[in-house]
Amino acid sequence: MFESAFCQIVFYIFALLAAGCALGVVISRNPVTSAMNMALCFGFVAAIFFGLGAQFLGIVQLIVYAGAILVLFLFVTMMLDIKAEEKPASRNCWLPSAPALGAVLIGTVFFGLVSNLSLALPGAQDSGCPAKALCSSIGELALSPTAAPAAEAPAAARFGGALPKLDPAAAARALKPGISPEEAAAATSYPDVKLLAQCLYTRYNIAFVILGFALLAGTVGATALARRIRKN
Amino acid sequence: MIPLAHYLILSGLLFSIGLAGIIIRKNILVVFMCLELMLTAANISLVAFSRAQGTAGLPVYDVQILSLFVTGIAAAEVAIGLALIVALFRARKTVESTALNTLKD
Repeated sequence: MFESAFCQIVFYIFALLAAGCALGVVISRNPVTSAMNMALCFGFVAAIFFGLGAQFLGIVQLIVYAGAILVLFLFVTMMLDIKAEEKPASRNCWLPSAPALGAVLIGTVFFGLVSNLSLALPGAQDSGCPAKALCSSIGELALSPTAAPAAEAPAAARFGGALPKLDPAAAARALKPGISPEEAAAATSYPDVKLLAQCLYTRYNIAFVILGFALLAGTVGATALARRIRKN
Repeated sequence: MIPLAHYLILSGLLFSIGLAGIIIRKNILVVFMCLELMLTAANISLVAFSRAQGTAGLPVYDVQILSLFVTGIAAAEVAIGLALIVALFRARKTVESTALNTLKD
C-alpha cells in the first residue's frame, strides 16, 4: 500500500517536472538553455519509463537522447553564432502574438484531453472511448439507466483502472519454456532486457538490421552535408 | 495506482508543448528540439499502452521494440537535420526560419 502510494507520488512529480522542462525548451531565449531543459525533460521521461517497468527503454532514452543527441545539439549551437539570438531587437517568435497562440494551443489540447477523459462528453458515448471508462470508474455510469456494466468493465480496467502487474514467474516461463512451476515461482527479479532481446532478435531481426543501415546512411549523409564544399 | 489515462494525458501535454514550440519559435535549433519532444511524447504513449495491453504478467514487447525503433530513427534524423542546419548557416549566416524566404520572393 505504502509502495503504491509512493510510486504514484513519484510519477506525478516526474510528470510535472517533465512538462515544466518541456515548457522551458519552448520559452527560453538562449538555445543552450533550451538544450539543457530538453536533457532534463528526457531524464524525467526516462524515470517515467523506469516506473512503467521498461528499464531498457529508460536507459536507451538516457543514453541516446540525454547523451548523444544533447551533445550534438550543444556542438552545433557552439558552432553557430548564438549572439544574434540574444540581441534584444530580435524576437524569438515570428509573430508578436505567437506566445498567446502557443498558450491557447497547449491549453486547448490539455483541456480537451482532461475533459474527454474525465467527463462524459457527447462524443464519448462510444464504449471504446477512454471517457466512458473513467466515468464508470468514478461511479457515474452506475447511475445512468442505459449503462451495461458487464460490457464496460474491460474498458474501465484498460483506461481508468490500475495497469496489470509484471510477473517474474511469467517472465521465467517465457524465457525457459520447460521450466518447472516451482522454479518459475522462485524467480524474484523481472528480466526486462532479456525478454526484449528475445523478441528483438527473433521476430524483428531483419527490421533491426535495416535500422542499422538507416543509421549508417544517416551518418554518411550528415558527414557529406556538413563537409566544407570546395569551390574549384 | 496510476491509470493509463494519466500517462496518456502526460503524453498529450508533452506533444502539444512540442507542437506549440514548432509553430511559434523562429530558431530552427529550438524547432528541432521540440520535434524530439514530440517523438518522446509518442514513446510515452507506446510504452504505457504496452503495459496496459499486456497479458499474463508480460507487457507487449512488440510495442516497446517499435518505441526503440522510433528512438533509433530519431537519432539518425537529428544527425542529418543538424548537418543541414550547419550547411544552412554556412550559406545564409542565419538559423532563423523567417529568413528562409527565397521561394516566396
